[in-house]
Amino acid sequence: MTGHLIDLYAWSYALANFVLWLTALPVQGIAAIANVATGSVPDPLTGTLVFLDSEPLTAFVAVIIEINIMLVWAAALNLFTLMWIERKLYSRLQDRRGIMIGLGSFDFLAATLGRIPLLGRPFRRPSHLGTGYLQNLADGIKLIQKEVITPARADKWMFHAAPVIIAVSTLMAFVALPWSEGMWIMGSYETRIVGGVSTPVPVNPWGILFILAVFSIAPLGILIAGWASNNKYTLIGGMRAAAQLMSYEIPLALCVIAVVVFSGTLDPFELVRRQSERPFTFGQWTIPWLPNWYVLNPLMWIAFIVFFISVIAESERIPFDIPEAEAELVEGWTTEYSGMRFGLVFAFKWLRALVGAGLISILFLGGWSGPTFVTLGAPNLADITATYSIPILPQEFWFVLRVYIIFVVFVWIGWSVPRIRIDQILNIGWKRLVPLSLLAILLGAGARAWLGGF
Amino acid sequence: MVDGELVAFVVLSAIEILAAIMVVTSRKLVHNVFWLAITLITIAGIYVLFRAELVGLIQIVVYAGAVPVLFLFGIMLTRRKIMEEPHESE
Repeated sequence: MTGHLIDLYAWSYALANFVLWLTALPVQGIAAIANVATGSVPDPLTGTLVFLDSEPLTAFVAVIIEINIMLVWAAALNLFTLMWIERKLYSRLQDRRGIMIGLGSFDFLAATLGRIPLLGRPFRRPSHLGTGYLQNLADGIKLIQKEVITPARADKWMFHAAPVIIAVSTLMAFVALPWSEGMWIMGSYETRIVGGVSTPVPVNPWGILFILAVFSIAPLGILIAGWASNNKYTLIGGMRAAAQLMSYEIPLALCVIAVVVFSGTLDPFELVRRQSERPFTFGQWTIPWLPNWYVLNPLMWIAFIVFFISVIAESERIPFDIPEAEAELVEGWTTEYSGMRFGLVFAFKWLRALVGAGLISILFLGGWSGPTFVTLGAPNLADITATYSIPILPQEFWFVLRVYIIFVVFVWIGWSVPRIRIDQILNIGWKRLVPLSLLAILLGAGARAWLGGF
Repeated sequence: MVDGELVAFVVLSAIEILAAIMVVTSRKLVHNVFWLAITLITIAGIYVLFRAELVGLIQIVVYAGAVPVLFLFGIMLTRRKIMEEPHESE
């Protein structure tokens, strides 16, 4: 193998940090613009809403704009980043470099940049020496161009309805999943006294329950997809998927109940507020420099582990990917789909992993709490005397960082262990995880009763 | 001035009545189950419209979780023809 002057591999991993930062930047830009436009409203989405909220139709349009910002952010940017992380990381686990198409792969771009004096000599390099971030975009463009084929004896109506049900029910979870104190769709402001000052804080009393509810719609769409394709492999895959998803929803919900009993709230904002309080308390012990994350509490360890395994199973990742086992079932219930229909049902796995990682982060890992080392002052056009402060490390950054780290652990587990059989999957779900999650509820309730809650 | 809640209520009710009629008139068992799911989910929407968010969300969790079970039983435990077989002439 010929050597490179620059270790592109190390370079791409250094760039991973930068990509993390970049994906959080657009949101902050929108936040700054919205705040300059509307004055004192502290978040991008509500800022848009207040700016346009003069009559009901514009309010409706503003809500649509909000949802679009959220979907572009969550479903496009983060989906591409998750796919990139997965493909790059499992390639390295298999001792190869993986996808390589980046901005430098565009010949015209490389030639143009090469003419700028400070960038030195024109760099003309082969198209497979990039970071690989644009590979997923290229795959998406390829899928959109392909023909949508309906099998001859398929139930046409339900065959085309199933991807819509799956994609919509998965995307609906992003309505209730907050990315920071300011970036959310579902919720409202409530005035509370924080440190002697009455400030508006976001609340969403049913957030976690909403996410669980929309999570339970997808198995129906998968079964319909498997049945309507009129193919034995898809039917078997659909039935396996339904059995697996339904049996792992029970420990998932029971672990959420354990956390809810432990903390006394279903509100994601309130959960994160409780966890970001500084002195870590456990009974009579306090550790002043440790935050109050639930994962650090020994009573919540069982709930955390069971929830983690259930999320991996719910997103059909590799140790539990028997519904789409490509070696035996030819991609399972997605066999007959082609074109962008396949793209929708294929991206479903990553979107569910994204929601699941966000839930793990909110329920156990302190959500978006983190240090904001420096804040920059920005002029406030509505009030000349006031300035608006923009944190240089926003809350979205810390949330996305946690989500990506959790996802890296998913990939790491997924590509290190072999796939397990369907009867073993159901045995683990019903005989191990359900009793363990009941034990977790018992521990949470005991902590609530005798230690006074957290 | 159009009341948004009224519009939402009328649309949800129309979908629900239509789906409820389809539940009893569809010829294929799997179609019945699908329309039943639509009926139950629109009922959840109407609960949310009545400011009973908890009831609505529990409705989705419980019934959307139960309908695939019905679906599986419908496929496995009935003697109805599940898959379309190719004709003899082909």
